Amino acid sequence: MSFQINRPCCATEFLENSSATQWMPHNAVRQLLIMFLLVLAMSCLLIGKSFAAEHIIQLTAEETQDDGFGNKLMAYKMDSHMVDGVSITDRYSKVATIPGPTIVLTEGDTVKITILNEIPGNTTHVPGISKQVSIHVHGVHYDILSDGTLKVINNHLDEGAGAGLEKDQYFSFYEYKWNVAPGTAGTWAYHDHNFETHNGAEHKGLFGAIIVNPIGAPSYAKEYVLYMGDDAFWGMEINGADKKQSKHGANPTLSARSDSNVRFHLIALGTDIHTFKLNGYRWVDPGTNNLINQVAIGPLEKHVFVVKAEQSSFYVDKNFSNQLMGMRGKFNVH
Amino acid sequence: MNHKNISGITRPIITVIFFVIALLTSSFALAAVHNISLTAETLPNGQLAYAMAGNEAVIPGPALFVKEGDSINVTLTNNTSTQVGFKVPGLPLPSSAKVGPGKTKSYSVKASKAGTYVYHGNIDGKEQLGLFGALIVDKATGPLDRYVEANGNIVPVTQADLDKQFVLFMVGSTFWGTEISSDGTQKPLWANPNPGAVENDIVRFHILAIGPGHTFHLHAHRWFKTGTNEVIDTKLLADGSDTHSFTVKAGSGVGDGDWQYHCHLIAHMEAGMHGSFKVYPEGGDGASIVGASPYGNILLGDQSRGPGLVTFEVTDEPASWFRSARGDAIVKLSDPGATGSPLQGADIKTKSLEVIYPGSSVNFVMSETNGVHTISSLLWPSGAHHMPFNQTDAYRGGGIVKLDTPGLYVFTCKVHPFMFAAVIVDDPSTEGLDLGNPQSNYTIDLATGIKSLPTSSDLAVRLLKTFFITTATANWRDYSTGLWNVSYPTLPVRISGEPFGKIADGGVGFALPLSALNVKNEPLSVGNAPATRGVGEVWVNTQFEKTASKFKPGTSTVVDTATWTVKRKVALPQINNNNPHNMWTNRDQSIIFQTQWFDNKFSMINRETGELIKNIQVGYSPSHVVTLPTTDDITIAINGENGIYMIPAGTTKVEKMLPTQAQGHVSANPHGHWISADGSKIVTPNIGTHDVGVYAVDNGTIQARTPTGGTAPGAHPIAIGMMPDSSKIYATNLLHHSLSVLNGNTGALIKTVSLIADYNPLDGTFADNDGNGKLAVGVLPIQAPVSPDGKAVVIASMDGQIVIIDTATDTIVTSLDCDPGCHGANFGAKEGGGYYAYVTSKFGNRLAVVDVDPNGDGDLKDAVIAGHVSLVDGAGTAKDDTVTGLPGFGGQGVLAVPNVYNGWVQNLPAVWKEGLTPEQQNPKTHH
Repeated sequence: MSFQINRPCCATEFLENSSATQWMPHNAVRQLLIMFLLVLAMSCLLIGKSFAAEHIIQLTAEETQDDGFGNKLMAYKMDSHMVDGVSITDRYSKVATIPGPTIVLTEGDTVKITILNEIPGNTTHVPGISKQVSIHVHGVHYDILSDGTLKVINNHLDEGAGAGLEKDQYFSFYEYKWNVAPGTAGTWAYHDHNFETHNGAEHKGLFGAIIVNPIGAPSYAKEYVLYMGDDAFWGMEINGADKKQSKHGANPTLSARSDSNVRFHLIALGTDIHTFKLNGYRWVDPGTNNLINQVAIGPLEKHVFVVKAEQSSFYVDKNFSNQLMGMRGKFNVH
Repeated sequence: MNHKNISGITRPIITVIFFVIALLTSSFALAAVHNISLTAETLPNGQLAYAMAGNEAVIPGPALFVKEGDSINVTLTNNTSTQVGFKVPGLPLPSSAKVGPGKTKSYSVKASKAGTYVYHGNIDGKEQLGLFGALIVDKATGPLDRYVEANGNIVPVTQADLDKQFVLFMVGSTFWGTEISSDGTQKPLWANPNPGAVENDIVRFHILAIGPGHTFHLHAHRWFKTGTNEVIDTKLLADGSDTHSFTVKAGSGVGDGDWQYHCHLIAHMEAGMHGSFKVYPEGGDGASIVGASPYGNILLGDQSRGPGLVTFEVTDEPASWFRSARGDAIVKLSDPGATGSPLQGADIKTKSLEVIYPGSSVNFVMSETNGVHTISSLLWPSGAHHMPFNQTDAYRGGGIVKLDTPGLYVFTCKVHPFMFAAVIVDDPSTEGLDLGNPQSNYTIDLATGIKSLPTSSDLAVRLLKTFFITTATANWRDYSTGLWNVSYPTLPVRISGEPFGKIADGGVGFALPLSALNVKNEPLSVGNAPATRGVGEVWVNTQFEKTASKFKPGTSTVVDTATWTVKRKVALPQINNNNPHNMWTNRDQSIIFQTQWFDNKFSMINRETGELIKNIQVGYSPSHVVTLPTTDDITIAINGENGIYMIPAGTTKVEKMLPTQAQGHVSANPHGHWISADGSKIVTPNIGTHDVGVYAVDNGTIQARTPTGGTAPGAHPIAIGMMPDSSKIYATNLLHHSLSVLNGNTGALIKTVSLIADYNPLDGTFADNDGNGKLAVGVLPIQAPVSPDGKAVVIASMDGQIVIIDTATDTIVTSLDCDPGCHGANFGAKEGGGYYAYVTSKFGNRLAVVDVDPNGDGDLKDAVIAGHVSLVDGAGTAKDDTVTGLPGFGGQGVLAVPNVYNGWVQNLPAVWKEGLTPEQQNPKTHH
């Protein structure tokens, strides 16, 4: 058993393709940029956000959600989130949640994110079974050591916290580096890729999302992150004003003020293919000018849209069995 | 990147196919006419594939590149033994006619709209065996595509910019790849390849799918969703056929590495649906690594072609549920009369057996089934890599796994646990086929936690017999013929030391033919009908019987208990009734409710006329149906999914699905449920989670989830029986050969009764180890109803036994002989008092009528088979279709009308009560 920082190869350089101005801006350049953006933001009547923030994040994976009969799920918990040295940890739940924390980023940011493993039994190597948990992220840039996969896939390391598939490869924690490069704007899932097998435990609760906003993106009164699982929506709400995250759980009741602009972030998980509908609403299909009122979405696809909250409604999965099982939730507008 | 790893890998020799389309590199925008000659071929492993005329057939078929507005004339010559067509969903194609074996036909397609299209063989799902390819229609002018740079810039792509292209077809749970170099040369990459490129290469991917849907995900790369400005890294490919083309700059912003690509459906990830996009550092050769090939190292294959692949089609067809794509061919080649065949005389009757060599792969594709399945290991050579192979949830798709360790691998479907495929991975350096791991004395491991079981053991031989009887209809016990023959292949096998079952001269170093186990001309007689009549009629799901006017198997066979003859066969050809499995009836006994276990359908049948009332969509693989005694509402266990469907009494629409597990938890996949006599509880045996679930009917609360396997895995609880006062629950554990007894109120485990205590699995001897004064066993127990008077549990066991349990002591009283594949059991009233248990068998075509207490003294020691009834139709049988094969076979669900169980019997109309004694009319009071 060893306790080590496992990335000796990458201590000094991150990604050779990342441009210097984005990655390590000179102080003067950086300040100029900030001022420029501030002016730009104010002129657009938008809330300004500092350019190229550095995020230091720590997550823990835990067991949770005992069904009353000893069967458990797993969940990520936000331990800390520092942005350019300032903590924003109080935005997050203090306990592990399903879904995991939503990490809001801006194109140009960089992230160092560490995973810890508090799943019982994770320190002992078991032949043929990985006890690791990891963070595999979609959308943003990272090198092969931040893939969050097992060595049988990446040919380097078992990239997670805990005892991996490889003998004598135990990490008490694992750090990933993400370059939230230009061109990566969007909402993307992150999830475990290493628990038990190289497929991970994404369908057992170890999932969350990053929202990568373009520089100067508008803000919304509420943001809802909804994950479509095989028997329920797992969701959460982010308050646009104080950025607090709440209402974690299955088929949450979402609320909005009348006439406010709210943004839905859909991500599918598990095995089923879904058809999402927000009854009575239409929205712009992302990347197009088309108005739609439902969308087919398969595992790990994402679909982000904005509506003006006008009337109370409900969201539902039209998948044959899931609809009968009551895979739906309320959208209350008042 | 580790260069050594890559350069150290021996690349299989592959035939490079040169295929040039005139306009591929042309900058002119003139509409062209493409004349293409294709042939359809059968590959060495039995899969089908298209070939560009004169070249080797490939999967996917040759990629066709044309420009918008072009015309394509395809001349297709069919060199297979089946009808083949050519279809391009999304493009107009005047002719949908198929071409017969040995014939040639022309098809014309107008490439009227730019896009990527699937072309396929149009043969009702069988095209998933390999008759599919990509037709890529690019815009006549302008850039082909665009990609996102590391710095976010969007860069247009022309043909000249492309360093290489890959076609990846998602079929079943397998990727089939082709590489297209910048000069247009196409090279097959076969199954689950690792496509390669050098960092910063401009690479265009064409992802296509046919059959059940997928999502495609490539790690660390992102691209445009076609026709939008949306940047994505995962894309849905919808059911049916679908395509998605995109371009990336390899490793842009992320560097070199083995970047995994995979389907992101968990069920398909577990089924092996992945590979790696190998991005080499600048200066690398960017070579792709070819996957397992149908031309490769399998029995009768070409060792020099590297890793091979055998493919099983997953079907709804009796015995051939996992049918090797070359199963028919192997049966023919192994016939004693197959002069000149390399397998002449091997006498292989099963189509579910394959032989490959270490390092080759086995592939499954659910191309001929309407149900959902898992591909799950039942046994494997001790210590084998990649074992056990399994999927948590049943789903549509397939599976693929590489097998390195010599020995026998048996795969099953957890939902339909008589579906079997056997693969022998043979070490070519030893004499005979290896049944166990040569490194560990030819032993095997089982999914139930048994490790290092000698292949010479009686249990191993019993499992082998079960396999060869189950998967070959010729080995079934057909009472209409009067003789029973079972023939095992004459193939020599290597097993563990010492006795080979009852055979004396086995052992390490020896190879002996399996045919030593053959059964020859054993006389068969249906036997006498019971002397005492039953009450009413008995409906039997003869699930495998084949009829003329539908292609899916299965009928209901109605036995008149007054005459013990078959009065009706209900095939329902108009709905292609598919594997009818289990039944129940409504209060007035006028409607038979019928599940179709290999489908997503549930039908309602007029009991008196046998006519269809309604066929409705339900969840996948509905198994059992029971009504609520309190309301007559219908409950259906959705075996392939995670809940119970509820249909209100008197309606034909599903109202809701009651989940069998808490949200987000592993699917329970309930099979043969029961309901408490007061209608308050639904009790399910959960094959997905190896426990018994107890659920409140009124609000769906989960009251208990009780594991039934103790500390060993894979108990596979499959059916429930309950005491008439609901005080106890009985659950059979199919793979643990045991009966769990639970408290009917709390669901707590009271006791586990081993049904094989008297059996020595190593030497096959029997001894009264449980001290009940009888040699009695039940191997692979299935249905286990409790008699309506609460005295006995009758357990139908697939190995061919009927076990009688005394509920006063919850011990085994005796066991009676049953036919192979013994499966269903249910009680009905005996005329004048008492009950019969009606017991069905899958691989025999008669019904056993068991009297658990002939003299009515409450002592079950004299339990006896009162008689047998042939399930084959006769001159007096009414029917809606003509029986054409497997007459009376497939006995599974069985239902006696009137329904005389406590809770239900009280609701019978007077006309039905008249035939019952006062005790039978109210069994609880008289218990």
